[in-house]
Amino acid sequence: MGLAAVVFSTPLIAAQISVQVREPGGAAVAGAVVYASVISGTAPKMPKREIDIEQVSKEFVPLVSVIQAGTAVNFPNRDKVRHHVYSFSPAKTFEIKLYSGVPGKPVVFDKPGEVVLGCNIHDNMIAYLLVVDTPHFAKTDKRGAAVLDGLSAGDYEIHVWYPATPATAIPSPQKLKLSATDAPAIAFAFSARTQNPAGPNPSAGK
Amino acid sequence: MKYFRFGRLEKRIVVFFVGLLMFVQLAAFFAISYAIEENARRNLRDELNVGAKVFKRLLDQKDQQLESATIVLTRDFPFRDAVATLDKDTIVDVLKNHGDRIAANRLALVDMMNIVTADTVQPALIGKQFAFPDLIERAAAKKSVSAIRIIDGTIYQLVIVPVMAPAPIAWVVIGFVIDNLTASDLKDITGLDVSFLGAGGSQQPNVFATTLAAGNRGNLQAQSASFLTKVDQSVSIVLGREEFEILATNIDRYPVAPGQGSVFAVLQRSVSAGLEPYEVLKLALLLLGGASLLITLVGSIRIARRITRPVRQLAMAAREVAGGNYGTPIVLQQDDEIGELATAFNNMSIGLTERDQVRDILGKVASHEVAEQLLKQKVELGGEERDVTVMFTDIRNFTALCENHPPAVAIALLNRYLTAINAIIDEHAGVIDKYTGDGVMALFGAPIGRSDDPERAVLAALAINQRMRQLASELLKEGLPNPDVGIGVNSSRVVAGNIGSPSRLNYTVLGDGVNLASRLESLTKRYGVPTIVGEATAAKANKLVYLELDKVRVWGKSTPVRIYQPLGKPEQLDAERHDLVARHHRALALFRARSWNAAEDIFRALRPVSGYTSIADIYLSYLSDFTLTEPVDNWDGVFTLGDK
Repeated sequence: MGLAAVVFSTPLIAAQISVQVREPGGAAVAGAVVYASVISGTAPKMPKREIDIEQVSKEFVPLVSVIQAGTAVNFPNRDKVRHHVYSFSPAKTFEIKLYSGVPGKPVVFDKPGEVVLGCNIHDNMIAYLLVVDTPHFAKTDKRGAAVLDGLSAGDYEIHVWYPATPATAIPSPQKLKLSATDAPAIAFAFSARTQNPAGPNPSAGK
Repeated sequence: MKYFRFGRLEKRIVVFFVGLLMFVQLAAFFAISYAIEENARRNLRDELNVGAKVFKRLLDQKDQQLESATIVLTRDFPFRDAVATLDKDTIVDVLKNHGDRIAANRLALVDMMNIVTADTVQPALIGKQFAFPDLIERAAAKKSVSAIRIIDGTIYQLVIVPVMAPAPIAWVVIGFVIDNLTASDLKDITGLDVSFLGAGGSQQPNVFATTLAAGNRGNLQAQSASFLTKVDQSVSIVLGREEFEILATNIDRYPVAPGQGSVFAVLQRSVSAGLEPYEVLKLALLLLGGASLLITLVGSIRIARRITRPVRQLAMAAREVAGGNYGTPIVLQQDDEIGELATAFNNMSIGLTERDQVRDILGKVASHEVAEQLLKQKVELGGEERDVTVMFTDIRNFTALCENHPPAVAIALLNRYLTAINAIIDEHAGVIDKYTGDGVMALFGAPIGRSDDPERAVLAALAINQRMRQLASELLKEGLPNPDVGIGVNSSRVVAGNIGSPSRLNYTVLGDGVNLASRLESLTKRYGVPTIVGEATAAKANKLVYLELDKVRVWGKSTPVRIYQPLGKPEQLDAERHDLVARHHRALALFRARSWNAAEDIFRALRPVSGYTSIADIYLSYLSDFTLTEPVDNWDGVFTLGDK
């Protein structure tokens, strides 16, 4: 949804990057987040936006979210029971003590980084939120493919991220210099499923 | 003294029963002891194995409890909050604080890169690699893990759980010290002595905790090699002086990394303590055995006495009986077989007494030989024909002679005669058939016949004659009557046997020859000789010298018979006697040949010879008769004699 908004807001003449994420064995990795950090050139100023991470049937929906830094996130509780949403992640530590309905104020995530969300009274509830410093991000589809478009000419670093995966296991970002009409294709390969068995497997979440 | 003297049979009975019982009891005792001990040891081992299972189960439960407690602890929001602050002092405080809640002895925090970020016991470890990365790996796989490890000389039960926020952000390591208290808690539950021993890798065998006494702790450590090679098996070892069944089991939970020491739980059960109840049983068995042995000893002695004492008594009585003393019956107060035997023995004694009395009387009333014959054989009526020489003796005019004397004197006198006669007949193997008042009837050749019966009879008669002459001179000196004794002897075929009725019978002989012997005895008076022998006897006993007295036809007999006076064996007679015999027989021949005058000359010439006078007188009287009336022409020299 957010992604669709991004796609439609892109200027007509712009560069785009096709990203393919695979397991080392070749299987597609779905649900991986790819994003392009701007190294030189101008990052487009995006309007302040708000997204929802709902709690439905004692689960966070969606399981994995990507937002640009400064985005406000609402945590509407669709369940009859209360929830106590918290994060101890360095990017954003907060808690919304036992509440029902939609909390009065959204939580603004202004620092890039990984945020793991939990509910203090439902240990099984978990959600991943990646806060990035760029509007150019996407999630891979079932075929492990994602497209970053609307990019103006400049130098970029293309990152891949996968929830509950230690930083050491994530491939290094790839640098790209784009002209206005380039449409390069790049690929990442890493093991998304076996990195951290203790953590949830987001691609198996739904 | 007498009580302890054993006869052989008695000893054998006692030894047999006591020995048998002892053997059976000892065999039973050893078999039972062996079975008991085996069983007890098996029970001990079973107990030990069960104890080991319980012990492991307890450890498992403790693991789970500690893991659960730790998980609860790490899920505590303020705890996570504090851990998330990444402020080291705060983290140590919250670790201590929360660790106290679950009585943990040591807490540490390890980050996701396995670096120790906090340690409540050894702060020096902070910033270093965590010692047990393998356990972190397992914790990552299982969400929590529990293991037993040696850290710095202490055994810890380590529980490792992630701090979930909600994804894992760090590892909390909680350690519970395993010490003597732990061991003693486990002992309370399992009933076994519990020791915790570290060994292997760089770890020298060391007992870290135990419920054993201090002395045995060192012993256990010293002997650890003997049971660590047989892990999870029951092993018997001696610690100090006490025997233990022992079972060691590894409680690392997860294999230790190479070089690290392993932890063993060593469960011990004192064998002597385990056998204690059986020792009581053994003692009871021994006491029971001893008591029954004593009872058997006393009982068998009593029973043996009951057998042997009467047997000895019987043997003694039997010896008495053998010696002819039947007088003392055996008195036994027993109703059993031995009592019956005693009664039977007494009855036998009575029977023997009676029989002996019968034999005694029989030997007196009958002759010895007849009595023997009667006792030996079946006494039956009937008889057999035998050649028998019969002797009759008679004291002449005894009745008349005794008239002037009291009966007692008369009987005594008679008995002197009869005793003397009896003795001589016995000497010559004759048998007294009966006494006929003052006379005696004796048999030679019945019931047992011998070839020299006639000769013995004649010799007996001569001996009696001689003895009677002696007796007569003795009686004369005593001033008692001394009558002559006449003897008649004759041999003939007679019927001998038991004669009478079935209830009352005599062994005797019957026949004409018997009567003739009696007649011959009567004739001694007529011829003035002590003994007259019949023709048949003289013919059979022909080695002796006889004087033919006459040829007579006795009263009641048609056949004439020659009669003789026996004189003795030829060598015993002097020449004068032989001459007398020869001249007499010549005279007799002349007489029978009717040479009256020639015969008369000889008879007259011989008449003065002692003992011959009456014979000579008889022939001289015949001759004077014949001078009146000449005998008939066919005269055969026989004189028919009338009644005596």
